[in-house]
Amino acid sequence: MATAKELTHTGENTVIGQSILISGKLTGDEDLTVQGRVEGELTLTRTLIVEPSGVVKANVAVRNAIVSGVVVGNINATESVELTREGRMVGDIKAPRVIIVDGASFRGRVDMGEVEPGRLPVGDRPRIQPVRPQLRPGTTTPVRPPIPATPSGRIATPVAPPARPAVTTPARAPAPPPPPTRSEPKVEAKAPPPPAAPVMAAGAKKKVIIKKKR
Amino acid sequence: MATDQTGIIGKGIVIKGNLTGGGDLVIEGRVEGQIALKNHLTIEASGKVQADIRAEELTINGEASGNIDASTKVSISSSAKVAGDIKAPRVVIEDGAVFNGSVEMDVKLPDDI
Amino acid sequence: MANTVIGSSIVIDGEISGDEDLVIQGTVKGKISLKESLYVEGSGVVEADIETQNVEIAGRVTGNIAATDKVELKSDCRVVGDIKSPRILIADGASFKGNVDMDVKDR
Repeated sequence: MATAKELTHTGENTVIGQSILISGKLTGDEDLTVQGRVEGELTLTRTLIVEPSGVVKANVAVRNAIVSGVVVGNINATESVELTREGRMVGDIKAPRVIIVDGASFRGRVDMGEVEPGRLPVGDRPRIQPVRPQLRPGTTTPVRPPIPATPSGRIATPVAPPARPAVTTPARAPAPPPPPTRSEPKVEAKAPPPPAAPVMAAGAKKKVIIKKKR
Repeated sequence: MATDQTGIIGKGIVIKGNLTGGGDLVIEGRVEGQIALKNHLTIEASGKVQADIRAEELTINGEASGNIDASTKVSISSSAKVAGDIKAPRVVIEDGAVFNGSVEMDVKLPDDI
Repeated sequence: MANTVIGSSIVIDGEISGDEDLVIQGTVKGKISLKESLYVEGSGVVEADIETQNVEIAGRVTGNIAATDKVELKSDCRVVGDIKSPRILIADGASFKGNVDMDVKDR
């Protein structure tokens, strides 16, 4: 009897009460509020709310997490993780949105993932945007293949750019006919200089930047 | 530099190398290298810093990459883009901020964990 | 008093313990030990050994039940397992397979 009443009140939301301890694996498709303790593994397609009395010692995979209690373990959220004023967490967070409010305490890594191009926190970034439009019309194909060849490219490129402008200008004058056909295979191997001399300096820069992004 | 004055590195300025000082500093331009400041450092939205930073307090509205060590607080505002490891007693990351790296604060956990 | 509800989409594989009432609408596998009452709702599925004070079952339970006070099997419930409790109520329509031990000491 009492049960039915209780159910109508809380029917859509799972609550783990203060005195409750769950250890093991918990999965679900609804919001979960933890006032007690959950240990093990927690997977939800909705929101996890850890209240100030709640303790989660688990690896957590959810859509959203709001932590006002204690979390020890990693949180992987498809949308957001918020540590509120009372939140305490030790572990890594992976989520596109991470909010840490003043007063919260946290130790671990934050990974907001592949940030969309406009928001990359790399200092070189501004250079990329002006460069790209120039590159795309002519040299898109030659420039891209070298990217996978990161190991050698990475080391080579920083040194190369200063040399190239000097090399390309003379090289370009005597040898304009061969490049068009030969250059493309060559480029994939290692030598972007010959194909498109005017864009060269820019191309070199771009490569450096792209690698940093990865 | 007097301690209670605020220095500004303007938008057009690029500094490469080490930057040390005793006053507050606002960076609107670019700094590459290392920054060690006794007081409050603010990186404005136009500012871009690629440096390891030590300061008392750090407010980031712009871009910063490098490791950060602050003795009181680091605030990463919604317009900021930050990559690096942060060590500070208080770290605030606002919604909208982009941050990749680690955070190290003191976390007082219950005894039974 | 905090009221714990395991919602219908929730699946727990492990142990639950606590000092308060627990309502199960979802699925629990493993073990449940409570000092208060357990309610297994119509949508609830429990594959666990249960230790508690009271149990009210309207859903499905597979496992042994030990209650210090009372076990109530409601109509439409399906219970497979042994029940040990000083009071046991089985409603008309309930289906139950297992042993009942009312532990009558004072005879």
